[in-house]
Amino acid sequence: MSYVDAGYAIALATLFVYAVSLVLRRRRWERALRMSERPVAEEGALPHGERS
Amino acid sequence: MKAPAIVPPRPRWLDVVGALGVVALAFTVWLGLWITPPDVVQGNLARLLYIHPPIATVALYWAGGVAAAGSLLYLWPRTRSFFWDRLAASAVEVGAVFSVLTLVTGSLWGRPAWGTWWTWDARLTSTALLLLLEIGYLALRRVPADPAIRARRCAVAALLVAIDVPLVHFSVDWWNTLHQGGTFLDPGFQIHASASMSWTFLLAFIAFSLVFVWLLGVRYQIEVLQDVVGDQELEVSLAERWSEDAELVGVGGPEPLEGGGAP
Repeated sequence: MSYVDAGYAIALATLFVYAVSLVLRRRRWERALRMSERPVAEEGALPHGERS
Repeated sequence: MKAPAIVPPRPRWLDVVGALGVVALAFTVWLGLWITPPDVVQGNLARLLYIHPPIATVALYWAGGVAAAGSLLYLWPRTRSFFWDRLAASAVEVGAVFSVLTLVTGSLWGRPAWGTWWTWDARLTSTALLLLLEIGYLALRRVPADPAIRARRCAVAALLVAIDVPLVHFSVDWWNTLHQGGTFLDPGFQIHASASMSWTFLLAFIAFSLVFVWLLGVRYQIEVLQDVVGDQELEVSLAERWSEDAELVGVGGPEPLEGGGAP
């Protein structure tokens, strides 16, 4: 494998793995949020500091 | 009483940006590896330059710029919002990945071109410092603290990261470096490449920028989800604690926190 091939392979593979890890992390947190419960009084509340 | 949580919706435009980024990246690889001719001086090694400068541009200017702007807007009292804090944090993490790739692809080019994987050149050293500062920021972000305190600390840390950006940019002008100056453009914005090379480079620049925007958007969504889950867990814990106290003393608990438990 040449330096050029190695450069392209490492760059694309790293970005692919990082992108997949982000998608999996997002899915895990969405699942955690669906499984969690919240007080009814907080319905529609935004996370801290969020301006509506 | 409890209710199921509402998951924040995913913006549609982000999926479009991601798809465009993948297509542009595929064309970049095709053009960069097979279509553009070898360079007169460097031969096929110049093909690494279709990915190294665009990756470095994203790491330095896009990620560094978003992190700096987000942190400044958070620190500025009139624009203070956790939106900016989350955006800056997302930019630093994505920027760290691109900084690693900048150093790796640069090193892979430097070995055959300079005869060494690494040298303590000003451009290389300042880029490595950028990566270390980004890692430091991410470590600081993991330190448990009140959200407002954490955001303020991280905003200051992000500004330290941002200070290194002009250092990296001007390092080739301020010091006598092994690293060359502008790869494709000189200070007068004259292009030093053939048309096919220039178009491939331009496409690569767009492709990595689109990928950066998509990664930033997804990372930002994770920040929002983490905050929502954290706030809800806090609310539930406080509600349970108050109901236990109320049962013990036989009176009603205090009023629930306003604004999702935020200070």
